[in-house]
Amino acid sequence: MRLRVGAGTDTGRVRSLNEDAFMLRAEQGLFVVCDGIGGSPAGEVASQMAVDAILARLDGPARRCAGAADHEAGYMPHTNRLAEAIRRSNRSIYDEALRDPSRAEMGTTIVGAWIRQHIASIAHVGDSRAYLWHRGRLEPLTSDHALEEGGALLRALGREADVDVELQEVAVQPGDYLLLCSDGLTRLVPDAVLAEAIVELREPQRICDYLIGAANESGGTDNITIVVVEVADAWWRWRWNRRRRKGRPGHHAETDSAV
Amino acid sequence: MPKLILQFEGRVLKEFAVGPMTTIGRLPDNTVVIENPAVSGHHARIVPDGDGLVLEDLESTNGTFVNEKPVVRHTLQHGDAVLVGKHKLLFDESATVEVLPAPERNLKNLGDTVYLDTKKHRALLATLREARARSNGRPALAPAGVLRVVEGRADRAEYRLEANTSLIGSADTALVRLRGWFKPKVAVAIARDRDGYVVTRLGGTTLINSEPLSGRQALTDGDILHVSGLTLEFRSAPSPGEGAETAQPGKAVAAASRIT
Repeated sequence: MRLRVGAGTDTGRVRSLNEDAFMLRAEQGLFVVCDGIGGSPAGEVASQMAVDAILARLDGPARRCAGAADHEAGYMPHTNRLAEAIRRSNRSIYDEALRDPSRAEMGTTIVGAWIRQHIASIAHVGDSRAYLWHRGRLEPLTSDHALEEGGALLRALGREADVDVELQEVAVQPGDYLLLCSDGLTRLVPDAVLAEAIVELREPQRICDYLIGAANESGGTDNITIVVVEVADAWWRWRWNRRRRKGRPGHHAETDSAV
Repeated sequence: MPKLILQFEGRVLKEFAVGPMTTIGRLPDNTVVIENPAVSGHHARIVPDGDGLVLEDLESTNGTFVNEKPVVRHTLQHGDAVLVGKHKLLFDESATVEVLPAPERNLKNLGDTVYLDTKKHRALLATLREARARSNGRPALAPAGVLRVVEGRADRAEYRLEANTSLIGSADTALVRLRGWFKPKVAVAIARDRDGYVVTRLGGTTLINSEPLSGRQALTDGDILHVSGLTLEFRSAPSPGEGAETAQPGKAVAAASRIT
C-alpha cells in the first residue's frame, strides 16, 4: 500500500493570522490537522503544541503505552496510541495555559489519522473533520463536538485537564481518499464540492489547492487547512495503472505494510 | 447624537454614541473596542467634517468596508453598514442615544471560535441529551456476532467479534491468525458499528458466499467467508429479546439520523 499525500493551509481572506497547524508523516501513515482557538498568539501556540506533542509521542519507535486505564476496549493498539498521544498533548497545552496568563484561553481542535495495516485510526476533538472517499461516496467519519447553531465548540484540547477523545476505525483500500480539514473549509464548501474535487482532480495536492481556492472564493472567513491522503496500490501495480492516468508531483510515500 | 450599533453575525452586541472623535479598533483605548484578530489595533475613526461625519480607515490590515465596498474616507449616511473584520457597525443618525448594556452573553468569544465554558457546557448538555447521543456520546454497538470455523486450521473453533475492528491475517494484531507462508498480513477487516458488521477486503483473495469480495460488504447471518484456505461462517447475535446488548430506542433513532 502506498500513500500519496497533498496538504495545504491558508490564512483565508479575513483573518490576519493562521492559527491552524498540520502535520504529515506519510512514511508512518500519520496525519494531523489542528485549528487553534484563543486569539493571537495563543491559538497558534496551542495548535502547534498539539502537533509537536503528538509527533514527539508517535514519531519513532513504539513505546509501551501508559497504564491499561488509558485504553479503550475494542480498539486496535495503534488507535489507542493515537488517543493517548492526543490526551497527553491536551495535558501539555492545559499546563502551559495555567503557567502563562497571556495564553490562559488557548486551545485547539484536532483531527488525527493513523493508517497502519490498512486500518485508519481516526481520533478527533472539536469541529475539525475527517472524511473517507470510498467507491464513489464521501462518508463523514467524524461528528463535530460543537453546537449546530453558532458552532460553539463543546470540546477542545487544552481547555480542561482531561479530554474525551472520540475514536473511529475504518478499513481503507486502494482508491480510497482520506480527507482531514479544519472548519474553515467545511463551513464554506459543501460536502458535494469536496466529493467533486476528488472525482475531478484525483491528485491529492491539486485537490487541496482547489479546495483552498474554493473556500477563499466563498469568503475565506477563517483559516483553511486540508490534508488529502490517497490510498494507492503498491508501486508496481501503480506503474501498471499509470498508463490510464498521468502522475503529478506531490508527497509520495510507501508505507511499509509490516508496520 | 448619532450612534453606531455593533453587530456580530446578526446579533446586536452593543451601541455606541458617536462623539467628536470616535475610534474603532482592537486596543482598549478605542471608543469602539472590537476584540478580534481580524481588527487592527487602531482600525478606523469617525471625525466631523463640515455638517457630516467622515469615516476614515487608519491603514488597517484588513480594510474598512461601507455597504460592502472598501473605503479609505467616506461621509457617513444614515443606515450605512460599516464592516470591520467580521463585525458590522450600523450607522444610525436618527436616534438619541441610550446606550444599551451589552446583552448577557453566555458564550465566550475567543477570536472567532467560541468555546463554551465548563459550567455552561454541562448545563447545556443536560438539556441536549439527544444531541449528545449523536455527537458527543459513544455510539452503541451492534450486538456481538461470531465467526465459526467451518473448515481449515485455526487456533479456535469460534471467534467472537467484540472489537470495533477485527482482522483476519498473519499479522500478530489479527483476531483470526492465518498461519503459513504467503498468507497476507491482513486479508480482511471486519468493522463493527451500531448497525452491524461490514467486511472489507485488504489483501489476498477472499470469497463471500463463493463470490469474490472486492470492496466492502455488510455481513448477514450465515454468510460464508473463504479466506486463504480457511472457511468461516458469520453468525450474528441472537435476536433482540435474547440479546443483552439490544440498542435502546432513543439511540437507534439517533443512529439512523446520522447515516447518510
